[in-house]
Amino acid sequence: MDASPGVSVERGLRELIAAAELAKAPELEALTAMLGQRLVGGQRLAEAVELVRSAAERGLRLPGALHRQLAQAQLRAGDTTAAEKTIRELLKRDAHDVEGQRLLYRLLAACGQTAAAHTALDRLVELDPTTAPFAHRERAKLGPMAGRAVRIALLSSYVLDPLVPFLDVECRRSGLVPEFYVGPYNQYTQEILSPASGLYAFEPDVVFIGLDLEDLFPAARGVPSAQELAAGKDEIRGSVSALVRELRGRSSALVVVHELAITGRSPHGILDSRRPDSLTRWIEDVNRELGQELAAQTHAFLLPLREVLGRVGSEHGQSRKLHYMARMRHTDPALRELARASMRYVKPLKGLTRKCVVVDLDGTLWGGVVGELGPEGIHLGPAAPGVEFVDFQEALLNLTRRGILLAVCSKNNPDDVMPVLRDHKHMVLREEHFSALRINWTNKAENLASIAEELNIGLDSLVFLDDNPVERELVRQMLPEVLTVELPRDASQYRTTLESLTDFELLAVTKEDEQRAGQYQANRRRQALERTAGSLDEYLRSLEIHARVAPAAAPQVARLVQMFNKTNQFNATTRRYQTPDLERFLASPAHHVYTLDVADRFGDHGLVGAAIVVEEPGAWRIDSVLLSCRAMGLSVETVLLKRIYDAARARNVPRLVGEFIPTRKNGPTADFYSRHGFRQDGEIDGSQTWSLDLRTERIDDPAWIAVQVGGA
Amino acid sequence: MGTVEEVVSRVFGVDPGGLDDGSSPETVEGWDSMGHLNLMAALEHEFGVSIDIDDVMEMVTVKKIREILLQYGVER
Repeated sequence: MDASPGVSVERGLRELIAAAELAKAPELEALTAMLGQRLVGGQRLAEAVELVRSAAERGLRLPGALHRQLAQAQLRAGDTTAAEKTIRELLKRDAHDVEGQRLLYRLLAACGQTAAAHTALDRLVELDPTTAPFAHRERAKLGPMAGRAVRIALLSSYVLDPLVPFLDVECRRSGLVPEFYVGPYNQYTQEILSPASGLYAFEPDVVFIGLDLEDLFPAARGVPSAQELAAGKDEIRGSVSALVRELRGRSSALVVVHELAITGRSPHGILDSRRPDSLTRWIEDVNRELGQELAAQTHAFLLPLREVLGRVGSEHGQSRKLHYMARMRHTDPALRELARASMRYVKPLKGLTRKCVVVDLDGTLWGGVVGELGPEGIHLGPAAPGVEFVDFQEALLNLTRRGILLAVCSKNNPDDVMPVLRDHKHMVLREEHFSALRINWTNKAENLASIAEELNIGLDSLVFLDDNPVERELVRQMLPEVLTVELPRDASQYRTTLESLTDFELLAVTKEDEQRAGQYQANRRRQALERTAGSLDEYLRSLEIHARVAPAAAPQVARLVQMFNKTNQFNATTRRYQTPDLERFLASPAHHVYTLDVADRFGDHGLVGAAIVVEEPGAWRIDSVLLSCRAMGLSVETVLLKRIYDAARARNVPRLVGEFIPTRKNGPTADFYSRHGFRQDGEIDGSQTWSLDLRTERIDDPAWIAVQVGGA
Repeated sequence: MGTVEEVVSRVFGVDPGGLDDGSSPETVEGWDSMGHLNLMAALEHEFGVSIDIDDVMEMVTVKKIREILLQYGVER
């Protein structure tokens, strides 16, 4: 009696494999894979593992499916360690294996490795964006992740729920843990007008409002007359801005309204542009006026939806079928782009704006290696190749206009590089545009850390642009807080890549932002002076510091909100107040909001410090006190405290109370109260209370500062 | 081009081995009304077709999906 048919198949396969191996036949991989499948199917897992291992050793590429089946069989057999090893080896060989990545997630989730499972989901969606809904569903089961929370509400005239999974992914990619509220279908008006609505109970940080043109103005589906268009425009502008005003009155949330977009084409055909009732022109006008209305309100924005759809292609981004079937408007690719665009509002709101772009030189700011080609040989000029680098430099220069700093980190000899920075006729960026330069042969991670230190900003404020994948990988591993951008090999994509980053947004640009680069240059000169000055006292005197403390007023609110949300190091309580909070404090007789402006012989720093003081029975409590890092080390904070001290004494208040809530970053504030004679009263959950007896203690202005006190 | 089962398993993240002709919204996690739209979009993308709304309503088992796709000239 012969062996069973299964055994003879296996024997046959093995014979074929041996023959194929001998003949180096192309069938070898397929045959080995068949044998592997047979072993997995027969639960002979140890043999299958050995087969896969030896195949990999000999450079055979067995299909991903075999690895996955093996891992699943191992998982079913209860050997999670072996299963994880199998799948990680597959992913090491083929990082783009979507199903392998999904299996890795399942495995991690099954063994309760929540954090790693979340990371596996991040990677899964990165590999295949269509897995966003799956990832969102799974996260709900995984349990919470550590991170800064953000509360996002969506209101719309159509079904906008499918945006949630995509927003979820984008938030988590930025380290935020989102909570969502989606208003009931087409009830945005009721949600906003009713104080008892789910919207207000949710207490959102940001509300996105998506309105569809055909819902607001059904006549747009036909051929509306010029009169109808005029009336429709006024109606839309009036009702939307009234709703936003109502919402802003009841909630401190940031409000972001989507632009209105036309779904199809104009019924007038090519004549549209020649007619007084042009629909194309009308929608431009509607959006422009809507934008103006929102700009006149605080904390309200118009999201450029048409630009978002344009990037996807409006015919791919909008789907009539989805609308007919489910009252949805946008396809998945459009929702993904919309989620990215939404992050441009969420990130600055949560203080995630990056402050400095560090660029490499060779291959990044210009083509070729200057050390080999010389200043005249590099690719940089009006014609290609070279024009793509000029264009990229212009985009970098544009960033400086909103207060983003630039720095250089390049492995080069300064003697080769400086002539280019100073004299190359086609350089857009010059030495003076860079707030820090590291042109040396030190490793880039060290250089980036020292740039952050010199500019007095966190590593999580840096963006790193380098054409060399090896340098990028080094920085990613050594300094994960730095945003290392995957710069494409094709330099003509550099500008687009830079502009697609959502990390440089500000909710308002202040005078301080526009001047920031200049201030850091002044800092460099100041540090040069510091090195030449004899004693610290002499140095401080030589700075000719002027400080002015005054009660805050409405025009300063934008700058104050920015400071409250960005200042980390010198910030006693790190309370992230928003515009409505500050407006409330300014209006309240029991609150005093102080501002501190500083100037020295190198330039005007503008508004660099603030404090909020609350009148309480028997004492004034310092709710917040903060100082921009640019003004640290000058003792200007004493000037601010001294004004509070004077004001309280003038009102016969016996005591000043200060709070200090330690964070990972506010170490420089830790001795603020002790240094000024406060005594610690207590500590609850790490939050300290300090107090100063105003009848016995005194505070003096530093001798080297010329103090000016503003009225009110 | 993948099989219908492969598309279903990809969209809902389930093991393709666990799917058969009778798989439907009752048996597959995530195959709710929104999931159904995602599945339809994935089928359209995979097989290069645009599926009529009546057909969308009918395609609620793997078997039905395969049968209806035949009418679009897709044999999987």
